Amino acid sequence: MKIGMISFAHMHASSYAACLNELDGVEIAGIYNENKNVGQSLTQKFGGKFYSNYNDLLAESPDAVIICSANSDHKEHVIAAAKAGCKHILCEKPISTNIEDAKEMIDQCDENGAKLGIAFPCRYIPAVMEARKSLEENAIGKILAAKTTNHGTMPGGWFVQKEKSGGGAVMDHTPHVVDLLRWFMDSDPVEVYAESGTLFYDMDIDDAGLLTIQFDNGVFATLDTSWSRTKSFPTWGDVTMELIGMEGVISIDAFAQDIDLYSDINVKASWEYWGDNMDSGLIKDFITSVEDPDKNFPITGEDGLKALEVAIAAYKSAEVNKPVKIS
Amino acid sequence: MLKIGIIGAGTMGGMHADCFSEIDGAEVIAVADAREEAAKNVASKYSARTFTNGDDIIALDDVDIVDICLPTPFHKENVLKVAAAGKHVFCEKPIARNLQDGKEMIDACNKAGVKFMVGHVLRYFHEFSAAKNLIDSGAVGKPGVVRTTRAAGHPQGWSNWYANMEMAGGVVLDMIIHDFDFLRWCFGEVERVYAKGLAYSGIPNVDYALVTIRFKSGVIAHVEGSWAHPRGFFVTLEVAGDGGLFEFDSRTSSPLKVSKKSSDSGEGGVEVPQNPVNESPYTMELRHFIQSVAEDKEPEVTGEDALRALEIALAALQSIKTGEPMQFPLI
Repeated sequence: MKIGMISFAHMHASSYAACLNELDGVEIAGIYNENKNVGQSLTQKFGGKFYSNYNDLLAESPDAVIICSANSDHKEHVIAAAKAGCKHILCEKPISTNIEDAKEMIDQCDENGAKLGIAFPCRYIPAVMEARKSLEENAIGKILAAKTTNHGTMPGGWFVQKEKSGGGAVMDHTPHVVDLLRWFMDSDPVEVYAESGTLFYDMDIDDAGLLTIQFDNGVFATLDTSWSRTKSFPTWGDVTMELIGMEGVISIDAFAQDIDLYSDINVKASWEYWGDNMDSGLIKDFITSVEDPDKNFPITGEDGLKALEVAIAAYKSAEVNKPVKIS
Repeated sequence: MLKIGIIGAGTMGGMHADCFSEIDGAEVIAVADAREEAAKNVASKYSARTFTNGDDIIALDDVDIVDICLPTPFHKENVLKVAAAGKHVFCEKPIARNLQDGKEMIDACNKAGVKFMVGHVLRYFHEFSAAKNLIDSGAVGKPGVVRTTRAAGHPQGWSNWYANMEMAGGVVLDMIIHDFDFLRWCFGEVERVYAKGLAYSGIPNVDYALVTIRFKSGVIAHVEGSWAHPRGFFVTLEVAGDGGLFEFDSRTSSPLKVSKKSSDSGEGGVEVPQNPVNESPYTMELRHFIQSVAEDKEPEVTGEDALRALEIALAALQSIKTGEPMQFPLI
């Protein structure tokens, strides 16, 4: 199986490439990257041919493509892949920077018979999967509320350029947890209230966000998307979810499988993660769906759109200081 | 020697009596509770007189200070009576169930020239005063996003009054008002409040709220209050700034844990984290009030502070009810 990779602008691409290379019968056929030097060194590391034009890569008819370009380039790359006849597309989150683009991507994939998947690797964290199983087994009764966080470190680069990213901390860290909440509850967000701001860095994009999301099943949830982890913090950030049920509470701290390290090399404490690699579960599932026409990749463009809608509504809410409905 | 009468011999009244016994210059001489047995239990430890009506304590000539440890709806009438009698008054939090009552209580104490302090004891908890010191020292730079949690099972009290929204105001008004006062102490005045919660859900013996506060300084605070957690009581605090971050979790920052084998299975039973300190925050709080009276100084926690904390709690409840953010000030 031949996989094309379009852009390594998002750092997750390197992890996805490493995961691909661990799978039997799968090879990275080609890599497109905006920066030629970086792209060529990537092909040396992960294999495949370097393309300075992604259309040339698509013309080689890879069995699937993985797109990790900057958020605002997702649309161009996804639609080009669909139109070139690629049947399986995995796109990094957020699906795009605005709802119109996301809908057009979904439509174009449908029209061209391409299956569009969105990379929400958090669904493949064992603790998250176990939590969902517990919920299915009704371990805590009816869910009433959820308190969640997706904290991070300020990533810099195109992430803090609005025309490339579509937004800062809220755009970056809303989609993952919203997707997990939708997946856990089989319910969609209907209203969002948000406070947002630039509270940590001197820049023109939000680095702090606190969302309150109302779901159509009556559950309310808060989500802290802030890039509030400092340089001195022991790790990059977190994904935490506390689900309050009628009969109990489920707490997820998705990356808590770590060792506390105190090394004089760094002169700071660090939490060294030893848990499973969520990306390998994601990539394996994607490849399975490429191999087997009866198996659909479970995370669709529609899922990407639903998560994006919350981030877009959050920005609007933070601007008007009112809750904003999602139609 | 300042002589103290305690009205209300529930959990707080009993604890306050113990605290006063550790304070030089203070002596509990009378305890009142409609439940005579409860009053006796507290009073007998300190050879104090027992009453079934608080009015009788307020009427005692030799009482200098009255400590109101009654359910919230009874705060106002008692504070007004104490002030009218020209005695100093300490009152448990929250100051009142509504802002108008709180204002009247403050006005009455001012007019009577008596000292008035409300039990926002969190300011005297070692971990919270240490956190305030860290913030003030600039350890985290300019604060940006703050998170607090205060979680417990549903409290039990006289006539299950905690379960009565009209009386207690649920977890928002009765419990996380502590955090509201602390946050306002640290970060100043509030711009707006938005909240979701179970206060009006009709689900019995559970309450839960997630409150967002935007401060005028720009700080965004997330305040969680839970009477929905099956585990024992715990609190957390995280302050992230542009130059650092600190976090505290009472479940892990505990120097002593006692684990007992459960008698039937022989396996590990409940582990109770303990946090012993030389002087309890409640004693420190009451000692400060005693000093304020003795030295004729305004207490650190003013009636106005208590009113502003109440304002945040009421705004959160109103937001839960209406689904709309509440702009400040409400009054």
